[in-house]
Amino acid sequence: MLVLWALLALFVVFPLGALVARAFFDGGRFAPGALLAIARDPNHLRAFGNSLLLGALVGVAGTALGFLFAFTAVRVGLPRGWSAVLDAAALLPLVSPPFTTAIAIIFSFGPRGLITWHLFGLKGFTVYGLGSTFAAETLTYFPLAYLTLKPVLAALDPNVEDMAFSLGSSRRRVFRTVTLPLTVPGLGNAFLLVFAASLADFATPLILAGNDFPVLPTQAYLQITGLFDFKGGAVLSFVLLVPAFVVFVLQRAWVGRRYYVTIGGKTGAETAVKSVAGWARWPLLAGCLAVAAVIGWFYALLAYASVVVALGANHAWTWVHYRVIFTEGLKAIRDTLVIAGLGMPLGGVYGILLGYLVARKAFAGRRAMEVVSMVNYALPGTIVGIAYLIAFNDPPLVLTGTALILVACYVFRYSPTGIRTTVALLQQIDPGLEEASQSLGAGSARTFWRITLPLLVPAFFAGLGVVFIRSMTAISATIFLISINWTLITVRILENMTELSLGPAAAFSMLVVAIVFVVMAALSRLLRRFRTPGRVMVAGLLGG
Amino acid sequence: MMAAAGIRLERLTRRFAHRVKGEVYAARDVSLTVAPGELVTLLGPSGCGKTTTLRMIAGFERPDAGRVLIGEEDVTGLLANRRNIGFVFQNYALFPHLTVFENVAYGLRVQRLAQDRIAAAVGEVLALVGLAGYERQFPQQLSGGEQQRVALARAIVTRPRVLLFDEPLSNLDAQLRVRMRAEIRALQQALSITAIYVTHDQEEAMAISDRIAVMSRGTIVQEGTAEALYRRPASEFVARFIGRVNLVPARVVAAGGGHVEVEVGDHRLRLAGVEAAAASGEKVRLVVRPEAVALAPAGGDGLAGVVRTRVFLGEKVEYQVGVGDDTLQVTRYAGAADAAFTPGTVVTVHLPTAGVGLLPAGA
Ligand SMILES: Nc1ncnc2c1ncn2[C@@H]1O[C@H](COP(=O)(O)OP(=O)(O)OP(=O)(O)O)[C@@H](O)[C@H]1O
Ligand SMILES: [Mg+2]
Repeated sequence: MLVLWALLALFVVFPLGALVARAFFDGGRFAPGALLAIARDPNHLRAFGNSLLLGALVGVAGTALGFLFAFTAVRVGLPRGWSAVLDAAALLPLVSPPFTTAIAIIFSFGPRGLITWHLFGLKGFTVYGLGSTFAAETLTYFPLAYLTLKPVLAALDPNVEDMAFSLGSSRRRVFRTVTLPLTVPGLGNAFLLVFAASLADFATPLILAGNDFPVLPTQAYLQITGLFDFKGGAVLSFVLLVPAFVVFVLQRAWVGRRYYVTIGGKTGAETAVKSVAGWARWPLLAGCLAVAAVIGWFYALLAYASVVVALGANHAWTWVHYRVIFTEGLKAIRDTLVIAGLGMPLGGVYGILLGYLVARKAFAGRRAMEVVSMVNYALPGTIVGIAYLIAFNDPPLVLTGTALILVACYVFRYSPTGIRTTVALLQQIDPGLEEASQSLGAGSARTFWRITLPLLVPAFFAGLGVVFIRSMTAISATIFLISINWTLITVRILENMTELSLGPAAAFSMLVVAIVFVVMAALSRLLRRFRTPGRVMVAGLLGG
Repeated sequence: MMAAAGIRLERLTRRFAHRVKGEVYAARDVSLTVAPGELVTLLGPSGCGKTTTLRMIAGFERPDAGRVLIGEEDVTGLLANRRNIGFVFQNYALFPHLTVFENVAYGLRVQRLAQDRIAAAVGEVLALVGLAGYERQFPQQLSGGEQQRVALARAIVTRPRVLLFDEPLSNLDAQLRVRMRAEIRALQQALSITAIYVTHDQEEAMAISDRIAVMSRGTIVQEGTAEALYRRPASEFVARFIGRVNLVPARVVAAGGGHVEVEVGDHRLRLAGVEAAAASGEKVRLVVRPEAVALAPAGGDGLAGVVRTRVFLGEKVEYQVGVGDDTLQVTRYAGAADAAFTPGTVVTVHLPTAGVGLLPAGA
């Protein structure tokens, strides 16, 4: 326990403190002047406004799209195959490097885009700006809403709707007066998640927003990597911290009071769901399929781009991009795998340990530990990255340039999924099981090893899976932490993009998607070998 | 087998913080003695503290005050895994990741018995509960009744000194409940294990126990055999909780020599065999069970009444009979002569004169 506190203090509290200190203090003196100066800078003010606007738009659209998918998946009574299509469409953006949608949009609508240039022969069409950024982020982040809303909708007892229906309500009325209100907490949660994701995203705006639409995370990034202005970066990310903090508080206060779905109770009869009229199924399904088709098109395009010389210009087959990434890019691939491989088990163990402590043990500071463990997860990656950079760049602890800083960043930023799964699972596991074991003579160590731990296996794999996937795909925090010694695939993709060598970027992206899929398949394979109640799909955990 | 040990609870008390009411007593000065081999039921309405009391005996819950003795040993400070107790949970709490065999073997493995002895012991109890051949199933693959048996087998395989049951049958359907309670009782007697059984179902309590302790708001309000509680409840709460009852207001006219003479309305009754002390002039209530009231055609000595409703229930008939402003519940066997009065009929009501309990007006 002390060890956990020490780790949390070192990798969560300390960096954040360092960031705030850098923003407010100058040579040991309290100097909020810089903050005020930035706050008065019209450019930054605009970036701040833009960030909020973009986040709100993406939040609304992403939630709507997520609800459409979730409602269709849960209530339309699709055949298995179709819901697999929906799931796949929602999953792809989640397991991809952050710019895949952006790249695909440039391939389609860019200056030499397949659709704008080749299909319609448009010249001078500018893809850059709010519209494309909004579209790309919506497509990238709506799966978060989908994954949040699907269980909420699935947990609604169909009997409640049947009841309203039998009381004479029309289907539309049932939807408006029963289904929707019951989903409101879920919708709120989904909106906050998508909003926060958009707020934190700097990769998509970096590529798509262009000069006319600056947003905060990009500004902070440019401040540091372009101007080496740590203080400016710190101040900017501190500004970003404010809305992020508001979201965090809102989420805990309002939606955090969860509605627990218990397992074991008698569930409502699985009657054919009557909340959707027969005719309404087709537009719902068509809407989902249209979105799925767009996503499918993007990925097909990416795959195609990785095997032709230059998409839009020269469509001759070639393996040269893959050769490039496996020669020049080999180091990045190796580094990424090493870091993800190290972070995976650490993150898994850390997740269930902390989750178990928080959920089952009573000790002073339990709530505090839970909240602190969530901080790095809740904060935009840019903030975390800059905070680590500031904190670990100077003595007493110099970690920049090492693999450790990258691993630590991933573990403490992405393990909260494992923690939450552990907590949720423990809430479903009847404490009676542990008491039964005790009454049969087992001590607490034996009870933990023989009863609790085996039941937590899904949470372990979930936590570990998420840390792995994020280690493969994330960039926002770690872009500040890479070095000559340790680099990452995602960073290479970004470099390729800025050098306009889109082919290798596409090839890298395909590789990441492939690796992630293989690892996920292996994990769920493994998971299936353990008999546990409430089996949780790794894929289902990337949300919340 | 370990010799059966008695249980003694001495003023067990447990308080909980309640968000609205402040501190509430889930159990307050609960004292109870259970003889070796005896089965005592804790009976009471929801929230009266039965589970809390049981969990303190098992060691899952620490009492704020009081002692738990098993045999002559004070176990109050012992952890649950040192008490050698079998506990059957309401929802069975079977380990979902272990097979039936491993579930039952769990306690034996803790004791580090040799594999062949474990196999033999598990086989034996599984046969005892009628589940031979189910060894390799997982809990989710069993019906509720079968899961119940596994839970029972798991609790008795270690030969505990004491068996504790927390509403073990509440998840089963009515018929299975009746069958399982007979099986549990037979098993408990065959193994002569001391047992405490929690339920809120008075019929189940009467069917299964040697003695019943009735709980209300964290305390035991009365204990005794089912029959004693039925015939001589000490309070209105117990009278109403066990069986159906008429509490007939009356006034004592004379008392002495094992007889009490009371006035009900303007009618006089001479009651025999009353144990409760009663003083002349005192207001009391007579505890009259519905089946002890007889009806006759109007006329003759007795209270005048009017049949309000009649419900035919197969072997019996239930009446509601208006007497003055009150309504009496009356149960008659369907074959009896007074079982055929139709609603509206004016009848004469005969209250029993023996086996009637007396409650003070305020109890
Ligand atoms: N862990 C706890 N925290 C707070 N209050 C509790 C706790 N456990 C029990 N109580 C309270 O103590 C009282 C007795 O609870 P208990 O579970 O013993 O009742 P019970 O007789 O078993 O009821 P039931 O028949 O419904 O199972 C209740 O008012 C309950 O709210
Ligand atoms: Mg209870």
